[in-house]
Amino acid sequence: MLEVKNLRKEYGGLTAVKGVSFTLQPGDIFGFIGSNGAGKTTTIRMISTLLEPTSGTAILNGHDIKKDPMAVRRSIGYMPDFFGLYDDVKVWEYLDFFAAIYEVPPRDRPAIIDNVLELTDLTVKKDAFVQSLSRGMQQRLCLARCLVHDPALLLLDEPASGLDPRARAELKELIIELGRMGKIVIVSSHILPELADFCNTVGIIERGEMLAFGDVNQIVRDLHPTRALETKLLRDAEVAAQIVASLPGVLGATMKGENGLRIEFNGDAEAQAEVVRALVQGGHGVLDFREDQADLEDVFLKLTTGAVN
Amino acid sequence: MKTIVESLILENPMRIEVARFRRRFLGFGGSSVNNAVLALILLCYTGIVMMVVNMRGDLPPIPIIMFQTGLFCFFGPAMLHGAIAGERERRSWDLLLVAPISKAQIVAGKFMGAMAALGIGAAAMALPTIIAAIAYGKTTLYDLVLAEAVSLTFCMLVCSWTLFMSARAKRPFMALGATFGTLALGLAVIPALLVSIVSGDRITTEMVGYLNPFVALATITSAHDTMMNAATSNFENMPFIPGALYGLPHVLIYLGFAAGLLLYAEKTLHFAENEVKFLPQNHHDA
Repeated sequence: MLEVKNLRKEYGGLTAVKGVSFTLQPGDIFGFIGSNGAGKTTTIRMISTLLEPTSGTAILNGHDIKKDPMAVRRSIGYMPDFFGLYDDVKVWEYLDFFAAIYEVPPRDRPAIIDNVLELTDLTVKKDAFVQSLSRGMQQRLCLARCLVHDPALLLLDEPASGLDPRARAELKELIIELGRMGKIVIVSSHILPELADFCNTVGIIERGEMLAFGDVNQIVRDLHPTRALETKLLRDAEVAAQIVASLPGVLGATMKGENGLRIEFNGDAEAQAEVVRALVQGGHGVLDFREDQADLEDVFLKLTTGAVN
Repeated sequence: MKTIVESLILENPMRIEVARFRRRFLGFGGSSVNNAVLALILLCYTGIVMMVVNMRGDLPPIPIIMFQTGLFCFFGPAMLHGAIAGERERRSWDLLLVAPISKAQIVAGKFMGAMAALGIGAAAMALPTIIAAIAYGKTTLYDLVLAEAVSLTFCMLVCSWTLFMSARAKRPFMALGATFGTLALGLAVIPALLVSIVSGDRITTEMVGYLNPFVALATITSAHDTMMNAATSNFENMPFIPGALYGLPHVLIYLGFAAGLLLYAEKTLHFAENEVKFLPQNHHDA
């Protein structure tokens, strides 16, 4: 379990992170969302023991980042947003080097290296020099490096940056798999739809403050308690608007386009079906009927102002 | 519980640096600049061996050790200037810092890598030195070993100085420039200035040049000749610092300074402080 307690970082007069707190359980995939300069990387670097917090702390499986950083380091895999690899070593040598650093017994290393290479789909590049790998492959190698010591927590800072769509999809699958393996995964990213796909928990940070934290759907529901139903009709949309406005659960109906309606709605499924039935029975010719769902991007835009420290 | 030797040398995962340095500097297949430099070195080395063989005893071995020391002054910084500053520039430094490895192991690994590569160079230079010593016949084995020890320990000092500079510098070329600059100042410019100021003062001149390895090597050679001609020497010609104080004291002093610099280099690798230190003054991005 990871407990982040009131983590704060100050650089002289600048407060980069203002008391961030959250708790994650094994298997959680946490999407850390924020604009550039919001404090995501600083928070991740503090949890990874790279930066010393000004105050507050984080505890990973009982190990405090301030009191026992070496124990924390043994339990984390950190992938920075920008990283360099040693270009004069082979892929397996690079992984063997980090396996040695993480005190993986020498007799276990070959099998572990084979496993992480297979997991990251780099088996064919085992004997290639690191410098010969493409950007996507280097990204996967960095992730493989994070996994050689079977860490409990993975800190992935913008892992998808610079990757092509296929590589992103593969990375997404890999992160989901890591979550299934019981690891806590913290992913920071700007690509919100992707995060919503595989994160079960998100945190939105701006100017060093955590604005929202929790289950993706719950956050969306909390910020958008009403839903919007959109329908496209064949005829008499204005009359239809008057009809549905009086139905239970309907908060209001407005014209959208030539024959479209946007219905603000907070009823249940039965009430929603009643709306459809009324439109059909009214002979308006229902061409389309769907729920306009708020997503993570809507939530992010609603919560944040775009201001940076 | 691991001993210091096990932790820093025998079981230090940073020993991979030995293979990296060997592959990078002693093997063809790296960058074209490395390949060209290596080819040039091999050509020069062949030339030195042929020259020593052709001179048939006219060349004493100590000047070859002096030449080797000069090479160390060049190649040590050239190999090590990016050891830590380069990791920072390449952004691979963070990956080491979040690993459960001590800063001492990082410094020791980098140092071992460079010393192993330079050690191979020193072993290669031993061939012309031995040929010259056998052919020349006048240099004692003790003087030869002492001169080699002065040269190698000075090499260790230069490497630890470079590592220290690399630990302190933001960019590798800053570390390289600072190292070459300080070596030039310490070995040539400042002694030359001081000697010119106290022109004719033999005692000051000797004291200024005492720690210079080239002076020490030259004195080891001349001390032998002085001892041989002791009967004919008068008191006025005797040096202020006796020949016996050249060689072994230098080895100890160089080793002491090298150890001190490595310890200090390790102490400068405070990651959190460095993070702040290396942020630009007007940096406002979290």
